[in-house]
Amino acid sequence: MAELRMREALRDAMAEEMRRDESIFVMGEDVGVFQGAFKVTEGLLDEFGERRVRDTPISENTIVGAGVGAAMNGLRPIVELMTVNFSLLALDQIVNHAAAIPYMFNGEAKVPMVIRMPGGGGHQLGPTHSHSFEALYLQVPGLLVACPSTPSDAKGLLKAAIRDDNPVVFIEHESLYGIKGEVADGEGEPLRFGQAAVRREGEDVTVVGILKMAQVAEEAAQVLADEHDVKAEVIDPRTLRPLDLDTILDSVRKTNRAVIVEEGWPHGGVGANLSTLITEQAFDHLDAPVQRVTGADVHMPYSRRLEQAAIPHSEHVVKAALATLEGAI
Amino acid sequence: MAEIVMPRLSDSMEEGTIISWMKSVGDEIAVGDEIVEIETDKANMAYEADVAGTLTEILAQEGETLPIGSPIAVIGDPAEGQDAPSAGPVGAGDPPPPPVAKASSGEVPPTPPPAGESAAPDDEAPSQQGERIKASPVARRLAEENDVDLSALAGSGPRGRIVKKDVKKAIKAAGESTPTQQEGVDAAAAGPSLAEAAAPSAEAPETAKGTVTVEELSKLQQVVARRMSESKATAPHFYLQAEIDMSAAVEGRGQLKQLAGEGDVVPSFNDMVVKACALALKEFPRANGSYKDGRFELYSRVNVGVAVAAQDALVVPTVFDADKKGLRQIATETRELASRVREGSITPPELSGGTFTVSNLGMYGVSNFSAVINTPQAGILAVGAITETPVVRNGEITTAHLMGVTLACDHRILYGADGAQFLARIKALLEEPISLAL
Repeated sequence: MAELRMREALRDAMAEEMRRDESIFVMGEDVGVFQGAFKVTEGLLDEFGERRVRDTPISENTIVGAGVGAAMNGLRPIVELMTVNFSLLALDQIVNHAAAIPYMFNGEAKVPMVIRMPGGGGHQLGPTHSHSFEALYLQVPGLLVACPSTPSDAKGLLKAAIRDDNPVVFIEHESLYGIKGEVADGEGEPLRFGQAAVRREGEDVTVVGILKMAQVAEEAAQVLADEHDVKAEVIDPRTLRPLDLDTILDSVRKTNRAVIVEEGWPHGGVGANLSTLITEQAFDHLDAPVQRVTGADVHMPYSRRLEQAAIPHSEHVVKAALATLEGAI
Repeated sequence: MAEIVMPRLSDSMEEGTIISWMKSVGDEIAVGDEIVEIETDKANMAYEADVAGTLTEILAQEGETLPIGSPIAVIGDPAEGQDAPSAGPVGAGDPPPPPVAKASSGEVPPTPPPAGESAAPDDEAPSQQGERIKASPVARRLAEENDVDLSALAGSGPRGRIVKKDVKKAIKAAGESTPTQQEGVDAAAAGPSLAEAAAPSAEAPETAKGTVTVEELSKLQQVVARRMSESKATAPHFYLQAEIDMSAAVEGRGQLKQLAGEGDVVPSFNDMVVKACALALKEFPRANGSYKDGRFELYSRVNVGVAVAAQDALVVPTVFDADKKGLRQIATETRELASRVREGSITPPELSGGTFTVSNLGMYGVSNFSAVINTPQAGILAVGAITETPVVRNGEITTAHLMGVTLACDHRILYGADGAQFLARIKALLEEPISLAL
């Protein structure tokens, strides 16, 4: 086992896959010479050359469009959008082309591409550069959505995404690039999509968190255990589509309570969706309404204090978990 | 919007079972429309709506048994039904108001918004829910599986919501307070030795008594079981027996029969007994009373119940003001009541209000028997068959039509001498039946 930062784990995943399969190439703004805005593609240009590590103009819709065309013609592009914020410029290619083409061509045309995009707030980048769009992409049929929270998962999921014949929106969190974690040495195995990770076992309340919020959920679980004698079970779905709902439902059937944590907006969010699924499928097991902890329903403030106030922290998760337990402890 | 609750359809009704809904969700209801058929402890009854509107929700399904006062349906006006909050196309308006809403109203959220998100939700209209019991889904399921009455529980959750813990507590408490039932079951499930001794296992349905068929009691049978045990356990019974010479009555009835026109009802001997009892009851107020909570209650009306075997149970319809009614009227009413009992269309009011009961098994050839008092009444007269028997009259052996009767008295109100005089009066009235016509 080696301890790697998440950006290194992601880079390794790409490099290993590119060595394995010549049809894989990387394309995006500043992915080559600059080695990525977040240094995720560090070293790839040196190893694989300009033909397979391509710098592009600032033209998101075109980058994704070119990727879709390449994918339809047998290549396996990894398109990096500098951040999820700019993916809005490429929405037509992502939704109307990448996601829809396999359906429109009755499966005869495949779009085996990965669209990587880092997102999330916390860096005082204001309203246009702090988005969390997991829910947006989760909504689109035909798109797989990955949202890893550890270096090991990041590597395994990215390898799986590259090998998958479906278009994958691969969401990374800017604040997680620097975190370190154990990653298996050598050629890692791809991680199966649709397999949640139970980060911590507990019987009092189920806390589901994604991306950075998976970590916040774990912090909260520790506080719940230390200060409130509450045993929280923490689940990281790791992929939102496909979603490992069974693991979540099993947990809720055990704990009778659920809290969903995400950084995105509350309305139509990942939590709203999961909360509905839980209510539909485990209604008779609920002892309290499912609680959501989400980013605030506002444009991300620039002010450091206000920005922090708009992003969930562990104390909010603790409070939500205790709310589900009111009367029960 | 109006909530329809399980109505109290009889004095002794504590709960009712929904037999069938006669209206469906969406139906227009007018006042007086029969909307649901309910089985009470005494009878099956159609319940009529007392408000008009649209049936918007059925809360109690057919077969469900609920205590009186529990909501069973909601009637709203049509506009209301369409505007029901849950009917909205998307829940976008429903989620907890986001923090920005507070901010825009001039209040800066003191704590970060996610907390607001998590703390704000909950049933926003507890008062609108009326008497609907607030319980979490898992609490409801547990309660149903374990036969726990949610209405008896106090919720410890937010705003009094009953949560899983409350139900578990109740299940535990029930297990402790009724060890015979609960622990017996547990023991049977857990302890092999006890289980073998106490209850035959599922694999061995054959017992020394053969195969056991278990039947659930109907509501009515449950009431009979409860009332009869209560009566024997709480009312000290004593019995007075007499033989009543019905010869004159037999003769009189023969004449009535001859005089009766086409379709005329001829009073039976039992009708005469009812009438005789009614007249005697008028003269013996304590026989027409109840011992209740350390006091005597004496009733101004004389309402004689007539026990009728029907519906695989025992039902006692009431002949109201039997002392004031003529024999023919009593006869007519009794026949009608009995046939309504047999078809199950008898209503609770027709089964309540009795102040005394007559039970007759003479038609089965029973010569004499003792009956259980229909508490809180003071007594019951058990009537046997009329048999032509040799008797001695004025030193000579002759025959007479004798009828064996037994008066059971509740000694708390009807003492030995009073009971004896009361019975003597009944006897005298029947032996000179002309007095019944007065």
